Amino acid sequence: MDIFLEALLNIIDPVTLTYMVIGVGAGLMAGSIPGFTIAMAIVLTLPFTFSMPPAQGLATMISVLVGGLSGGLMSGILTGIPGTPSSVATTFDGFPMARAGEPGLALGIGVWSSFCGGIISAILLVLFAPQLAMVGLEFQPWDFFMLVMFALTVTASLAGEHLVKGLIAGAAGLFIRTVGEDDAVGVGRFDFGSDYLLTGFDFIAVLIGLFAFSQLLSDLRDPVTARNALSDRKQVKVKIEHRRAIGILFRNWTVVIRSALIGMFTGILPGAGGSIANILAYDQAKKAAKDDSKFGKGDPRGIIAPEASNNAVEGGALTPLMALGIPGDITAAIMLGALLMHDIVPGPTFIKDEPALAYSIYIAFFLASFIMIGMQSGVLRVFVLVTRIKTYILATVILTFATIGVFALHNSIEDIWTLFFFGILGFIMRQFGFPLAPMILGVVLGNIAELNLARALAIDSDPMLFFLRPWSLFFAIIAIFSMVFPIYQKHRDTGSLLERFFSPLVLLSISLPLFMMGGLLRTTLAFAAIAVSSFIMWRRFGKTKKG
Amino acid sequence: MSFNRDSLVALCLILASGGLMLASFEIREPDYGVLSPAAWPRIIIIIIGGLSVIYLIQSFSTPQKDISPVPKKTLKGFVLYWRNVIAVFSIFALYLLALPYLGMLVGNILFSFILLTVLGGWNAILTHLVIALGASGGMWLLFTHVLEVFLPRGSLTGF
Repeated sequence: MDIFLEALLNIIDPVTLTYMVIGVGAGLMAGSIPGFTIAMAIVLTLPFTFSMPPAQGLATMISVLVGGLSGGLMSGILTGIPGTPSSVATTFDGFPMARAGEPGLALGIGVWSSFCGGIISAILLVLFAPQLAMVGLEFQPWDFFMLVMFALTVTASLAGEHLVKGLIAGAAGLFIRTVGEDDAVGVGRFDFGSDYLLTGFDFIAVLIGLFAFSQLLSDLRDPVTARNALSDRKQVKVKIEHRRAIGILFRNWTVVIRSALIGMFTGILPGAGGSIANILAYDQAKKAAKDDSKFGKGDPRGIIAPEASNNAVEGGALTPLMALGIPGDITAAIMLGALLMHDIVPGPTFIKDEPALAYSIYIAFFLASFIMIGMQSGVLRVFVLVTRIKTYILATVILTFATIGVFALHNSIEDIWTLFFFGILGFIMRQFGFPLAPMILGVVLGNIAELNLARALAIDSDPMLFFLRPWSLFFAIIAIFSMVFPIYQKHRDTGSLLERFFSPLVLLSISLPLFMMGGLLRTTLAFAAIAVSSFIMWRRFGKTKKG
Repeated sequence: MSFNRDSLVALCLILASGGLMLASFEIREPDYGVLSPAAWPRIIIIIIGGLSVIYLIQSFSTPQKDISPVPKKTLKGFVLYWRNVIAVFSIFALYLLALPYLGMLVGNILFSFILLTVLGGWNAILTHLVIALGASGGMWLLFTHVLEVFLPRGSLTGF
């Protein structure tokens, strides 16, 4: 109880609350501007938090995150252009509803769905993170190493047909972290005699360069669009209809809960974020509807599902971060960077060792959702003003801001050079179709992977242990299947062998490490996996014979 | 089977992997520690090299999808198409080189003013000046006085 009170006092401190209000406002703005992603806003917030105590810094970043996740709906509903990829599906019904003369109701449904999604995922985060951390205590260095590999392959597999490019990007991210002095023995690597390279690249400068700088360059590429404002709207007279919206949400509570659960689960998966969750939740809401004829024409469920799910994603993404030290998506990876910046290394013992900080994260998550509701109407007016600013002006100001922010990390001009070089690299990668998410995850997790590899080999030099220990085998199996997944997707509905036997093979394969783990629950799960796999194979083999 | 842009990128990656592998042999091997400092980077380089070979093979068999088509394949067309990006790169590089002499305040004001004017044209030069002074000055005040970050002073300007 004392720890909870300590955490609560940390968060309700007037300075922290002020930063949180600014953070939510900044997040709402960032989320509402098409082309300005939430990850970019979080990355740019990072340098500010450096001088803050850890709880205050994280509360500020969580506020930006919660605001950003909710901000995308304003642009999507009012202009038809989603502010962020995680609010793409909101435009399917939000924009038609706004055009049909109900913009206030559409915004109300969006805002309250975001709020409910955030609160549900915050509750699940509080419940699940400690449980997952208990499982994480079983992990040894072999398992952590394989978990990082799994996180990278899953993120790369999201690149779909560009899987190889995704894997190259992930490996390149791991390589970037090897430049400079080796953490274990202090030997210089790939420094080519340069002091700049010997100190290594500051990974936050790398993240800002890869993500923010390269995005700004992409926005400025076309001279005509660079000189255009996002919208020519002079003003928007919209009053958010809170009461009617809450009524509609109560009548569709199943959609709210189902979508929040989809968001939470998607967030837990490494690499999968709001951009996937909102489409998935929308699709499920449509499939579950008895009458789906109004979807796409302004159906409230078409707004509830994406907004509840995209706000629930972050609770999911923070769960593996807090429990295992492995981020669930890019924004959680940046949060990991913030923790590391304050010399806090999250892992299975994080919640036990740093309970006040863990509670501060939970409380900040809840509180930020309430602040978001309060600020949405006010920010709506500012949003209209910001959309009238020309893209090149916005980009130049952000770039100047990023430059000072990066310098502030270590008072070093070299970090600005890092920002510049990785900005160029990120831009080139975007042009050649390389996904940036695996590279960012590789940069963030590179040291963790090497450290655990070294620890594992120090305990036992047998490399086969990476495939003989239950958890590392489990992660290795799902890493392999995640790499095959894009090929499986390509062959769906073709009747190929891969299509028929992919899911039973996954189940059959993961039953092996589950058996090896022992215990009643895991052995039962292993038997269940074999039973389901056999059933699917029997049905599909039957079909093959008949065919 | 045709040599395309992806093939070129894959070839560059293979060459880079080869170069980095050679460079990894320059890493000093200490007498202590279980994992050699060169081991982990070498594993990554081998993976990148292997994946690049697959990428090269794929590039030959997959028809090229041009993600960002450059309209003209002449130097003038290239420069015209990428002029804003080239401008940002060049102005940023000059800004970085001049930073020790101009300092963060003057450097940022000049950088943002020049960049705004190059990207937005000379018609709104006064607006650009006001934005450059306001944004850079505001950020400088915020960082130096509120966040108490020491921003670099220029050897020529003194602030």
